[in-house]
Amino acid sequence: MKRKNSKSVAATLTTATCALLGTTTTTPVNAQEEHAWEFDTALLYYGEGDSRVQDASVNLLAVRNFVDDRVLSLTLGVDSLTGATPIGAVPFDGPQTFTSPSGLRVKTRPANEIPLDDSFLDTRVAFSAGWQQPWGRLSSFNAGVSASKEYDYLHLGANFKLAHDFNKRNTTVSLGLAFSSDELDPVGGAPQALTSMLDVGDLSNRLGSQSKDVLDVVLGVSQIINRNLVVQLNYSYSSADGYLNDPYKIVSLVDPVSGDPVPRVPTPGVDGPSHEYLFEGRPDQRTKHSIYGQAKYYMNGKVLDASYRYMTDDWDVDSHTVDLRYRWPFSGQSYIEPHVRYYTQTHADFYRTSLDSSAPLPAYASADYRLGEFDAITVGVKYGRQLQSGNEWSARVEFYTSSGSVPADLLIGNQAGREIYPDLNAIIAQFSYSFGW
Amino acid sequence: MGSPCELLVDSKSDIEAAALADTVSTEAWRIEDKFSRYLPDNVVSRINNSGGEVVTVDDETANLLDFAATLFEMSNGRFDITSGVLREVWTFDGSDRVPSKSQVEQTLKRVGWDKASWCRPDLQLAPGMQIDLGGIAKEYAVDRAAMLAAAGSGDACLVNFGGDLVATNAPKGSEGWQVGIDALGQDRNIAQKLIRLKNGGLATSGDARRYLLKDGVRYGHILDPTTGWPVIDAPRSITVAADTCTQAGMLATLAMLAGPEAESFLEDQDCKSWCLR
Amino acid sequence: MKKLIMIRRALIAMLLISLAGCSSMGVEPWERDVLAKDEMQLIADPLEVAIDEHIYFSKEASSGGRGFGGGGCGCN
Repeated sequence: MKRKNSKSVAATLTTATCALLGTTTTTPVNAQEEHAWEFDTALLYYGEGDSRVQDASVNLLAVRNFVDDRVLSLTLGVDSLTGATPIGAVPFDGPQTFTSPSGLRVKTRPANEIPLDDSFLDTRVAFSAGWQQPWGRLSSFNAGVSASKEYDYLHLGANFKLAHDFNKRNTTVSLGLAFSSDELDPVGGAPQALTSMLDVGDLSNRLGSQSKDVLDVVLGVSQIINRNLVVQLNYSYSSADGYLNDPYKIVSLVDPVSGDPVPRVPTPGVDGPSHEYLFEGRPDQRTKHSIYGQAKYYMNGKVLDASYRYMTDDWDVDSHTVDLRYRWPFSGQSYIEPHVRYYTQTHADFYRTSLDSSAPLPAYASADYRLGEFDAITVGVKYGRQLQSGNEWSARVEFYTSSGSVPADLLIGNQAGREIYPDLNAIIAQFSYSFGW
Repeated sequence: MGSPCELLVDSKSDIEAAALADTVSTEAWRIEDKFSRYLPDNVVSRINNSGGEVVTVDDETANLLDFAATLFEMSNGRFDITSGVLREVWTFDGSDRVPSKSQVEQTLKRVGWDKASWCRPDLQLAPGMQIDLGGIAKEYAVDRAAMLAAAGSGDACLVNFGGDLVATNAPKGSEGWQVGIDALGQDRNIAQKLIRLKNGGLATSGDARRYLLKDGVRYGHILDPTTGWPVIDAPRSITVAADTCTQAGMLATLAMLAGPEAESFLEDQDCKSWCLR
Repeated sequence: MKKLIMIRRALIAMLLISLAGCSSMGVEPWERDVLAKDEMQLIADPLEVAIDEHIYFSKEASSGGRGFGGGGCGCN
């Protein structure tokens, strides 16, 4: 075939074909090869009010589809976290001074404000890889690993899942297992539970690095009900063992009548805490059970996604989560998706706002607001658009607000008239872009 | 056509879909009956038994012969509808029965469109020559069937005659019909690549199913009419996407005939193609 | 104790659902067009689900439920 004739071949062929078929023109062909790689990227901003936590992250999910339903998934995320978080001490009408987690300096917090610890500046990198493989005609097998690193925390994990289809693939049953082996290396060393916060330079009650192991089991069944409706039901079991305390959180020792923090006698010539504080202590074991149900319903282009989760554990925390999303497409290329989530939890049985200094110490105590009793609502909306090339972008904004209630029997003296529980108001903003290659 | 043929329609109406299937299958059988070299009393058989006499053909046959003539010139003789007689010495059944040089040379004397006289509407072959429209008729049938289907309804259709196909429109709510290009080797049910076809034609030329294997050398079934032997060093399979199935099929065949130059030929044509070696 | 009894009952219900009556529910293979759409998958946007899971894991005492993947962190 002479190369110099090649270029005119296509044109001659077109003319000849039109003559053969009796047409004058042909519609231009439109054929696209399916991408081997699909990428999802997301930029996230999370910000709480009152100079509390702010987080910005970049996230990537890469999926490679191979011949015959084998799939490789890779994720990578980098978070940058700054800001302050409630330390667990109760506020009162005077200032309070705390030793920093490193034990190197003190920080003073003003009166009548829930004390925050702002020595928070952390970058976290997280990575995971997963492989999916068919196993016989109706089953599939998943295996994966995960790892994440922050300056004081290392996570390593592995997971497996087996799934089987039957009833003409209308029903799928799956069993998943995940193991996690985490290591904590808190600044200054992990504190011994329920021991005092000491002067600057005194790390005598600190231990070396700690570990935490978690086993998760998920048993699930999904069922296609009809052409427009699919439902899923999962049961999860989780067991955590090891150092489960938050090494940076404390509980105030208070006067049994006034409920105000007990002042501490300072060591001469040395900086130290202004009042008596104890590092929190949680049990070294936690077992959780959850039931999760989800339904997705298609109504002539619109999709309703509704889910409910009930969780209960042996720390006496019970929670309910209801999540609703409604995806509403318009103009063929874009959609809008409002979202509402309601969450409520009861407090852990060892949750305390503070400890009575005259009473014997309990076995466990934590003033971490995340183990308290609260309701939270998320309200948000997402807008997405598909481009000519098949790529898609989306943006969402959500407001997350939680407000807690402390049972009367946990409040001592003056605490009843004060704002003890730190409510939360946060904004979540995310921009995503998906493309193939 | 020698292969399974199907019509996929995205339609809300059973009746319409059945009517379209009827239109497509009727046209497919009409073309097969008219141009198959296996049937005893159609125009092709009249030509092949003419013994050197002039045969006058109808318009449709004349169109196909005009098309074949253009392709003969465009390919410098490599696309030749008179090359069918070579099948008397070449049987691609996966065995090792490769013909001898003298056998091929003898048969080659009866091959060559330039030895025929075509002056529309009269065709005169030299004695012993045969024409075989198998290289054009299937793709032509796909395009004809699709044109009739499109005229009959606006529904999205995919006409697929044994891997040569054309789409008139994408099914509602999707980017196109999903077409898999066969993998070579063991498991032919696993598609090697997945293509979304919105409209246009897709045709595949290849040796995946018809070949000879002798002394470790694989002889693909595309014969070079100028030498009488299979094209050397051609890709195992070529799939081309073009405006019509006919164009796709011809480009795939021409690329195959280009042997080692297949990929660069297709690049010059600026069409989407997938070559597997 | 009462909670565990409830959970045991829910597990049994799940087992029965998956073993027994599902053969009457469902669709034929050619009726799966809607279910095959991206937006009808149980987890339609895995990246967003992972991001949300991480946010709520660090602000609340519950986590997971819909499966797992990705790592732990020092935030709870």
